Amino acid sequence: MTYPLPDLLPALPEILVLTLACVILVIEAFFKDAKAAYVLTLLTLLGAAGVTAFTGGEMSVHTFNGMFVDDAMGDVLKLMTYLAAITAVVYSRGYLAERGIFKGEYFALVLFAVLGMMVMISASHLLTLYLGLELLSLSLYAMVALHRESQAAVEAAMKYFVLGALASGLLLYGMSMLYGLTGTLDLAQISAALREGVSSPVVLAFGLVFVVAGLGFKLGNAPFHMWVPDVYHGAPTAVTLFIGTAPKLAAFAFAMRLLVDGLEPAHGDWQQMLAVMAVLSMAIGNLAAIMQTNIKRMLAYSTISHMGFLLLGILAGTFAGYSAAMFYAIAYVLMSLGGFGMVVYLSRAGYEAENLDDYKGLNSRSPWLAAVMGILMFSMAGIPPFVGFYAKLTILQSLVGAGLVWLAVLAVLFSLIGAFYYLRVIKLMYFDAPHSTGAVAAEAGDARMLLSLNGLAVLLLGLAPQPLMALCANAMQLSLQ
Amino acid sequence: MDMQSLYLTVPLAPLAGALVAGLFGRSIGRTGAHLVTILGVLVSFLASILIFQDVLAGNTFNGALYTWITSGDVSLEIGFLIDRLTTVMMLVVTFVSLCVHVYTIGYMSDDDGYQRFFSYISLFTFSMLMLVMSNNFLQLFFGWEAVGLVSYLLIGFWYTRESAIYANLKAFLVNRVGDFGFLLGIGLVLAYFGSLDYAQVFQKAPTLAHESISILDGHAWSLLTVICILLFIGAMGKSAQFPLHVWLPDSMEGPTPISALIHAATMVTAGIFMVARMSPLFELSDTALSFVMIIGAITALFMGFLGMIQNDIKRVVAYSTLSQLGYMTVALGASAYSVAIFHLMTHAFFKALLFLAAGSVIIGMHHDQDIRNMGGLRKYMPITWITLLIGSLALIGTPGLSGFFSKDSIILATYASDLYGSGFAAFAVTAGVFVTAFYSFRMYFLVFHGKERFHNAHAGHDQEGGKDDDQHGHHGGGHGTPHESPWVVWLPLVLLAIPSVYAGWAYIEPMLFGDYFGGAIFVNHEAHKAMSDLAHHFHGAGAMTLHALMTLPFWLAVAGVATAYYLYMVRRDLPEKIRRQAGVLYTILDQKYGFDRFNDWFFAGGARWLGGRLWRWGDVTAIDGVMVNGSARVVGQFARLARGLQSGYIYHYAFAMIIGVALLVTVFVG
Amino acid sequence: MNFADVVFFLFAAILLLAGLRVITARNPVHAALWLVLAFFTAAGLWMLLEAEFLAITLVLVYVGAVMVLFIFVVMMLDINLEELRQGFWDFLPLAALVAGLMIVEMVMVLGKETFGLVAPLAKPENYSNTKELGRLLYTDYVYPFELASVILLVAIVAAIALTLRRRPGLKAVDPAWQVKQSREGRVRLVNLKPQKPEYKSEEEDE
Repeated sequence: MTYPLPDLLPALPEILVLTLACVILVIEAFFKDAKAAYVLTLLTLLGAAGVTAFTGGEMSVHTFNGMFVDDAMGDVLKLMTYLAAITAVVYSRGYLAERGIFKGEYFALVLFAVLGMMVMISASHLLTLYLGLELLSLSLYAMVALHRESQAAVEAAMKYFVLGALASGLLLYGMSMLYGLTGTLDLAQISAALREGVSSPVVLAFGLVFVVAGLGFKLGNAPFHMWVPDVYHGAPTAVTLFIGTAPKLAAFAFAMRLLVDGLEPAHGDWQQMLAVMAVLSMAIGNLAAIMQTNIKRMLAYSTISHMGFLLLGILAGTFAGYSAAMFYAIAYVLMSLGGFGMVVYLSRAGYEAENLDDYKGLNSRSPWLAAVMGILMFSMAGIPPFVGFYAKLTILQSLVGAGLVWLAVLAVLFSLIGAFYYLRVIKLMYFDAPHSTGAVAAEAGDARMLLSLNGLAVLLLGLAPQPLMALCANAMQLSLQ
Repeated sequence: MDMQSLYLTVPLAPLAGALVAGLFGRSIGRTGAHLVTILGVLVSFLASILIFQDVLAGNTFNGALYTWITSGDVSLEIGFLIDRLTTVMMLVVTFVSLCVHVYTIGYMSDDDGYQRFFSYISLFTFSMLMLVMSNNFLQLFFGWEAVGLVSYLLIGFWYTRESAIYANLKAFLVNRVGDFGFLLGIGLVLAYFGSLDYAQVFQKAPTLAHESISILDGHAWSLLTVICILLFIGAMGKSAQFPLHVWLPDSMEGPTPISALIHAATMVTAGIFMVARMSPLFELSDTALSFVMIIGAITALFMGFLGMIQNDIKRVVAYSTLSQLGYMTVALGASAYSVAIFHLMTHAFFKALLFLAAGSVIIGMHHDQDIRNMGGLRKYMPITWITLLIGSLALIGTPGLSGFFSKDSIILATYASDLYGSGFAAFAVTAGVFVTAFYSFRMYFLVFHGKERFHNAHAGHDQEGGKDDDQHGHHGGGHGTPHESPWVVWLPLVLLAIPSVYAGWAYIEPMLFGDYFGGAIFVNHEAHKAMSDLAHHFHGAGAMTLHALMTLPFWLAVAGVATAYYLYMVRRDLPEKIRRQAGVLYTILDQKYGFDRFNDWFFAGGARWLGGRLWRWGDVTAIDGVMVNGSARVVGQFARLARGLQSGYIYHYAFAMIIGVALLVTVFVG
Repeated sequence: MNFADVVFFLFAAILLLAGLRVITARNPVHAALWLVLAFFTAAGLWMLLEAEFLAITLVLVYVGAVMVLFIFVVMMLDINLEELRQGFWDFLPLAALVAGLMIVEMVMVLGKETFGLVAPLAKPENYSNTKELGRLLYTDYVYPFELASVILLVAIVAAIALTLRRRPGLKAVDPAWQVKQSREGRVRLVNLKPQKPEYKSEEEDE
C-alpha cells in the first residue's frame, strides 16, 4: 500500500510559518531574546509573503486530498493578512515592551494565529475550515490573557474563550447536519450534492442556521456580537489591534469558502439569514457606538457595523457583491489598523489613550497625528474621497444590482447615523482644548512612519480605488470560475 | 518628462507646498514655510510657461488623468483640458500667486499665523489651478468650492476680530446662494446631457438648443437659457456681481495679500472664466446673454459710484474691482469672451499691483488705512508711488497701457452688440470710464500728493483703530514718518508693473483678433457680431492707441482725472460742500444703495422673525419635541438598551446567542 | 426492536440523565463523576456503531486521564459552586422556555425528516477499525491531523505562557544555594565600643 506524497508546494507558506513559529519558541525557551523573536516574526511574515507571491498563480491548485486550495482569492487575502500582521506587530512593539509582554511567546502566538488564518483562507474542506478557525481562536484567547497583571484582560479572555467555545459548538453542530445531508465534508462535493437536491430542505435550513450563527460569531455580527466590545475593551490594545484586523480577512474568507464555495446552491436560504444579521449589526453597531466614551469600545461597535456592511456584499450573491465585499474587508482592515494603531501609538506606559476625552485637542499637540486620525475617521464614516467611501459605494451598487434596494437604503441610513460618532472624534481633536498640553512623545519612529503610510494609503486608495478593485474582482473571477 | 506629468506638476507643486507648510509648519519654521511654498508656486509657474509654449505649438490636451469611479454610463474622473484659454489662466494664476507669495513674506512678517497663512495661499493656488484646468463640471465644482473654502478661511484669518468673523459669514452665506444656482445648473446638465464632460456636453448642446422645460405650469423655458442663467448665478456669487456683490467689500477684512490674490486677481474672476469656458452653451441663448450683460452693466457703473466716496484705501480698490468685474461680465454678455478674458488678464496684473501697492502704503502708514490721513507720501515711498501710479493709469485706460486695450475693446464690443440691453450696457461702461478715472485719481492724489496729513492724524486715527488692517500693531508707538517697504514687498510691485504696462500692447492682436483662442472659445459670429465688428475696425495696437485720442472714453478719463485734481488738489473745500449740497445722493452712496441695510433688515431681520415664529411652533413643538428629541430619545433609549444588554456577564451573552439561534431557526426553518 | 436498539435506548437514556446531572449536581465532585458516567455511556454508543477505537480512546483519555486530573483540581481548589450558581433559579424559567422551544423545533425538524443516507455495508470479518483509522489519518487526512497537532502545541504554549510565573519579588529560597552557604559568608563579627546612649537627641529627632 503506497500513498503518494501530497504536493507540498502550494502549502509552502504555511509550512514556512509553522516552522519558524517553532524556531521562535525554541529561541524563547533557550535564549530569552524577545528582540530576536520580534525581528524573526517580521522576517517570517515577509518571507511568507514572498513565497505566497511566488507560488501564487492564476490556476486554483488543490492538494492534500482536496482539503487545501491555493487560488487567486486566497493569495490576495493571505498577502493582505501578512501585511496586516506585520503592521500590527510593528505598531505594538513599544506598547508591549512598556507593559512587559514583549516576549517570544507573544510573537509565536501571532504566527500561530496567522497560520490559523492562512489555513482558513486556503480551506476547501469543512474539517480544515474548522481546524483553522480553532487554531486562530486558541491563539487569540491566549494573546488576550497574556497580560496577566490586567484583571480586565483576563476577564476578557475568559469571556472570549467561553463564548468562542459555544460558537464552535454551534458551528460544528451545523456542519454535522450538512454532513448528514450530503455525506461529505468536502466543500466542492457539498456544493455538487446540494445542486442535485437534498432529501430534506428543512434540515438544510436548520443546519445553515447553526453554521451561519458560528460564522456570525467569528465576524462579530449581531446577535452574536456581544463578545466584541468586552474583548476589544478588555484586551491589551496591541492585542485588540491584532484581533480587530487580520482575522477579519480570514473571517471573510471563511464566509466565502463556506457560503459560496460550499453552499452556493442554498443561496436563497442564507441570504435571508445574512440580511437579518446585517441589519441588526448595522443598527446595534452604529447606535450603541454613539453612547461610548471609550474609543476602543467605540471602535468595537464600529467593527460590528462594518461587518454588517460586509455581509451585505456577500448576501447580494453576485460576482460584483463578492468582489465588493472583498474590497470592503481589505479597506476595513486598513482603516482599522490605523485606528487601533493610533490608540496603541498614543498609549504610553501607565497611560492608556483609551477614552475619547484623551483625544481632545490632539491637533494642537501633534497636527500630523491628528491629520492621520482625521483621515481614518473620515474614511470609516464613508466620506469621499477616502477609501471607506468607495468601499461602501461598491457594496451599495452591488446591492442595487441584485435588486435589494431596501437593504441599500437601510445601509445608507445607518451609515449616516454612524458618521456622527466618527465626526465627534474629529471635533474633539480639532475644536476642543486639550487636557494636557505638550507635544506627543515622538518615540518609535518606525511605528510613526508606518502609521503615516497607513493614513496615506487610506487616502490614496480612496483617490485611486480602481487598481485594488480590479485586483479583487480579478481574484474573485479566477477563484469562482 | 512627458506632458501629462507636467500638467500634473502644475497643481500638485503648490499642493505639496501647502501640505508641508500646513502639517509641518512648526518644525520647518517660518523660513522653511515660505521657502517651500514659494518653491512650489515657482515650479508651477515655470511648468505653466513650458505648457504655454507647448500649447502655442499646437498641442492641446483633453482627457482623464484618472478615473475615480465608473458607475454605469457616468464616470467621475479627474481630467485636464489644456488649451489656450486654460494656459492663459494658468499663467495669470501662477504669476500673481508667485508675486503674492513673495510679498507676503514682508507683509505678514510679524504675524503669528505665518506658516498657516502660507499654507492657505498655496492651497488656494492649487484649488484655483484645479478649477481652471478641469475638463468636467464635477472637478470644476470641486475647485469652485475649494477656492471658496480657502477664501472663507482667509477672510476670517484674524478670527479674533469680530468684523472679520462677520465678513466671513457674509461671504459664506452670499456664496451659498450662488452655489445653489450653480449646482442646480450642473444638475440640469447631468440630467439632460447625461454627461459632465465639457467636450461631450458642448458637442450635444446644439441638438438641445430648442429643448424647453416648464418650471411652473404652462411657462415653457428654453432649457439652455435656464441652464445658462443658473450657471451664471453661480458666477454672480463668485465674481461678486450685483446683487450678490455685497460680500466682496467686506472681504477686505482679510490680510492685503489675500485681497490681491483672491479678491482681485484670481478667485473672483473664476465666474468670468467659467462663462467663457461655457461659451458654446451661452452662445445658444440670447436671453441668457442679455441677462449677463445687464447684470454686468449695473455692476460696472453703480459699484464705481460707490468707490468715489470711500475713505478706506482698500475699499476704494475693492469697489474698483467690483466695477471692473462688471466690465468683464458685460464683455461676456456681448459675446466678446476673448475680450473678457483679455481684460481679466490685464486686470489681474494691474489690480493685484494696486492692492499690493495699497498694502505697501498701509505698511508705510503703520497700518492706517484711511486716505484722509495720508498725503504727500510720494517723497517717502518712491517705488510704491511710481508703481501705484502705473497701476492707476492702466486701470483708467490710459492709451498704450494694458488696461486701455482691454477696456476700450469692451466698450467697442458693447457698441457693436445688438442684444436686448446693449444700449444700457454701452452707456454704463462709457460713463464708468469717468467714474473709474475719478475715484482712482482721487485716491492717488489724496495718498501721494498734497499736504502731509499723517502728522496730525493721531486723534482721527485712534478712533478708527478698529479699522486697522492688522493686529501686529504700531511699531515704535505713535506715527512716525512713513517709510518705503522692504524689498520683498516692492519687488512684486515692480514685477507686476511690467505686464501692467506692456501686456495690452503686446497681446491684443493675437488674443482678440488673431486666432489665439481657436477652438477654446466658441462664438456664433452670425448671431453675435460684436467680435467680427471689432476685428473689422482693428488696424493694430498702434493705430488703436492713436485713434483712442479722439474718442469719447479717452476724454471722459481725462475729465475724471481733471475733476479729481480740481476737487482734491486745487479746491479742497469743494468736496465737503458738494457733500452737504447733495445730501441725499451722498447718503445713498454712503449707505451703498442700502444693500447692507436691506440685507440686515430683510434677511437678518426677516430670518430672525421667521426663525422666531418657526422656532416657537415649528421647532419647539414639532421638531424639537417630536423629531429631534423624539429621535434622540429613541436612539438614546436604544443605546441604553444595548448598553443594558451589554451587562458583562458571560451567561447573558451566551443566552443572547442562543436566543439568536432560536429566533433564526424559528424564522427560517419550517 | 432488536437487541441493539434496546441497548441504544438504554445508553442514550443514561447519557441524557448523566448530562443533566452534570449541570444540576450541587457538589462539583459529584458533577465530575456524572461526567465520567456520561463518557462511559457515550463510549458504549460508539461501540454499538462499531467504532471500537474511538470508544476505547474516549474511555482511556477522557475518563482515565482528563477526568481524574479534573477531579483532583476540583478537590484541591475547593470551589464554592453556590456562588457560581447565583441567579440560576432566576433565569431558569426564561432559559427553560428557550430550551424548550429549541427542543420542540429540533424534534420537529429532525424527528420526521430523514437525511437520506443508507447504512454502511457490514464490514468483513478481518476488518480493523483501528487500522483503517490509522491509515486514513496518515494519508488522506494528514493535513487536518497535522493541524490538530499544531492546535495542541498552541494549547501547550498558551497554558505555559499563562501559568508559568517568573515573579521577581519571590521570597522562596533556592535549597541548593541554601545548603552551600558557610558561616564565613553569613556572619560578620564587629567589635563595638560601649557608648552612652544620647536619649535627648533621639527625642529631638522624633
